[in-house]
Amino acid sequence: MDKFFLLAMNGLIWGLIIALIALGLAIIFGLLDIINLAHGDFFMVGTVLAWATIQSTGSFWLAFLVAPLIGFILGALIQRIVIQPIRNVAALSIVATFGLSLILQETVRITYGPTPGRILPPIPGTLRMFSVDYDIYRLFAAAMALLAISGFFLFLKYTQLGTWMRAVRHDRDTAIAMGIPAGRVYVLTFAIGFALAALGGVVAAPITTVDFRGGVDILPFCFMAVIIGGLGNLPGTAAAAVLLAFLEGIIQSIADPTIARIASLVLMSAVLLLRPQGLFQGLAR
Amino acid sequence: MTAVSIERVLLLALATFLVAVPWLVPAMVNDFWVSVVAEILIWSLLAASVNLLFGYIGLLSFGQALYFGFGMYGVAIGVDAFHLSFWPAFALGVVAAMAMALVTGIFAVRLTWHYFAIITVVFSLIFYFLALSNKWLTGGDDGINFTLPPTFDTFGFHHSFTDPTFQYFFILAVAALCLLVMYRLVASPLGKAFLAIRDNDVRASLIGLNVYLLRLTAFVMAGFLAGVAGALFAFFGRYASATYMFYHVSGEAVVWAIVGGAGTLLGPLVGTALFIIVREVVSTHWEHHSLIVGVVAILVVIVAPRGVIGIWDDWMARLAAGGDDAPSGAIELRTEP
Amino acid sequence: MTEPVLRTENLTKRFGGLAAVNDLSFSLASARLHAIIGPNGAGKTTLFNLVSGLVTPDNGRVFFHGHEITGLKPHRISRLGVKRTLQIKSVFPRLSVAENLWITVRGGRGFLNPFRFAASDRATAEKVDRTLTQIGLAPLAHRQAGTLSYGDVALLEIGMAVISEPRLLLLDEPTCGMSPAETSRAVEKIRELARSIDIVIIEHDMEVVFEIAHDITVMAQGGILASGSPREIAADERVREAYLGREEDEDYVEEAAHASA
Repeated sequence: MDKFFLLAMNGLIWGLIIALIALGLAIIFGLLDIINLAHGDFFMVGTVLAWATIQSTGSFWLAFLVAPLIGFILGALIQRIVIQPIRNVAALSIVATFGLSLILQETVRITYGPTPGRILPPIPGTLRMFSVDYDIYRLFAAAMALLAISGFFLFLKYTQLGTWMRAVRHDRDTAIAMGIPAGRVYVLTFAIGFALAALGGVVAAPITTVDFRGGVDILPFCFMAVIIGGLGNLPGTAAAAVLLAFLEGIIQSIADPTIARIASLVLMSAVLLLRPQGLFQGLAR
Repeated sequence: MTAVSIERVLLLALATFLVAVPWLVPAMVNDFWVSVVAEILIWSLLAASVNLLFGYIGLLSFGQALYFGFGMYGVAIGVDAFHLSFWPAFALGVVAAMAMALVTGIFAVRLTWHYFAIITVVFSLIFYFLALSNKWLTGGDDGINFTLPPTFDTFGFHHSFTDPTFQYFFILAVAALCLLVMYRLVASPLGKAFLAIRDNDVRASLIGLNVYLLRLTAFVMAGFLAGVAGALFAFFGRYASATYMFYHVSGEAVVWAIVGGAGTLLGPLVGTALFIIVREVVSTHWEHHSLIVGVVAILVVIVAPRGVIGIWDDWMARLAAGGDDAPSGAIELRTEP
Repeated sequence: MTEPVLRTENLTKRFGGLAAVNDLSFSLASARLHAIIGPNGAGKTTLFNLVSGLVTPDNGRVFFHGHEITGLKPHRISRLGVKRTLQIKSVFPRLSVAENLWITVRGGRGFLNPFRFAASDRATAEKVDRTLTQIGLAPLAHRQAGTLSYGDVALLEIGMAVISEPRLLLLDEPTCGMSPAETSRAVEKIRELARSIDIVIIEHDMEVVFEIAHDITVMAQGGILASGSPREIAADERVREAYLGREEDEDYVEEAAHASA
């Protein structure tokens, strides 16, 4: 029972973090129509930036600012240099993002090194919950993720850029006809996507490893959340991420973790084939 | 010299070179590179399977490693667990790969564009995890090592892969056969139907082509090529491992096919050769050759999406047509589903 | 009474809340060239999509020579003899002109053999040559279709429609985007074809419509507004109100009203 609670809570918290990362993928996939195979590596870069910030300034909290900022800049650069020029061969964008993924992984491997490292949680200690000593930092991480997700939805609803993004997502041609600068929206969307993933990386860094392969596991999960939640359905994506991670956590307490992953993948296939609009239609705005 | 005669000469030169490799290459470099060429030929079949789907029927699959894996494990498990000899094991691998392609293709081919690419990755991940978790069968990441059965062992005619020269020629023969099959396919009515579907699938259905069935056919054929590659790989390395089923392997094959030239016959071979040679040369001094793969992939997509052979074909066409009336060089990939 | 070539019964198709085609019952007698006209959004192309199988109806049925084709897949309907062109000129851009025609013939019937050379099919090659001459594209036979001028693509489309030996030909705005010279060439071809094939044509060019159509159906808002001979349509008040409000069209309407059918 203790193990169950532990894994379920871990699942829930991871779900919130993944939701944050997956939202970044959702806007890139939904708005730019790109299968971003490097998205997991954006997360990984976030963890590395957290580590680097601690190394150079000693402060973990600064990473919450630095990582998303650098992620934003990198995202904007990547969109302009790599994505923009290939809009005429859109089918090959997946190849470009695959190349990007390799570049990011190898660059980190060269600069940071091949051995995984750890970051100590900035908030040490545990809290007694349901007869289990639960890490306080994990609770904090969940709160941070929730805060960031809420902030993102508020941004989408109440800012001009957010409105532009929603308009372009809804109807590209009409948005352009109405004078919305689509090109700028695309750059900013990719930048925000990277930033969200990087922020997720910072939040997750103390509870995972800093490893150049850290993005490999995250990537399929993000895609699962986007597909099962429904392409273009941002609340659905977030909900799907939380639910999937939570379910996987529960399944892990009774079976092999690989089984949980396989089950999620099978569910994802079913959704792709039978209900491509996703399972969370009700949440779509 | 006409374009056609230039191409004929070059093809002849390539064929001659390939046949002479076991003697030429050790003289030029060393013995080790003979097996590198053999590896290139094997992996070029995986690239060819990607190329068949993307270049000829317009479906970009990011999961061909799955069928490679079935070919590979078909052989490994066939020999190791069922004690099959060479040819039955080879057949098992190829048939298993094609069967898998049929079963997954029935579902995958119903989707197009991004969703097709995604589901091919998902299917390959599912089986990758299954392979990892069923260590008793697959050896997981560590894999299975097995003893190599001889290829021919009748009436005093004994040859096996333990002889590097025989191994090379067998692989060359199989690869050449597959190339010949592709060549005939492209020139056949079925091949023309594939091209029509690639160009305009709605129009294709309106002229009476059963697009779903034809795509499925192509998918199974691609599964065949990937399966042959996997089976050869297992015999070549006397080894099979789940790591070769991971989507990175599929992705690299896609890059090789695109760089070589999607929709061309020799593109897969050229692309694969380029990358493997670079890998072998670079990795003796520097272990980060994946960085080169990534950079080249991006550069090619931005600057030369037609790939090496694609661009070559355009030059040749321009030469043949005398400068004007040349087909457009731009790759015509739709930007909308 | 002979079975009409094409007949629809209460055909309905909704997109979202809007009925693009609404309870449409329509009948096309054979050996005629039938024009369907109407303002944008009247449902003309949706009707073609329903008949050719690209879209399945929410309600109603479609009959081709008495044979029900409702809900059949596009390639099945095509093989029954219903061929169409698309509103946006659409061929196989990376195939040559000759190959476009070739695959149209072989796609429509028979087994696609992977073991022979396509070039060895002499019968089809001859057909392709004849059609190339017929549509006047013989000198461009080996050009990639994607490099052709718009007018030539339209001709190729007509060639593809012809070579497939259709029993019913649906032409969706065949002269759209053509120069006057190209238009008269196309109109000539269509008139020739109409001698042996049943044709339904969607057109916006009133000059073309009144010149070649035997019957005209006017669609508006998913339904039929009026149907009849060109003279009847020209004289119909409702049609003038709903659709022929444009100055240029007035002239043709006048001409048609005074011309003998």
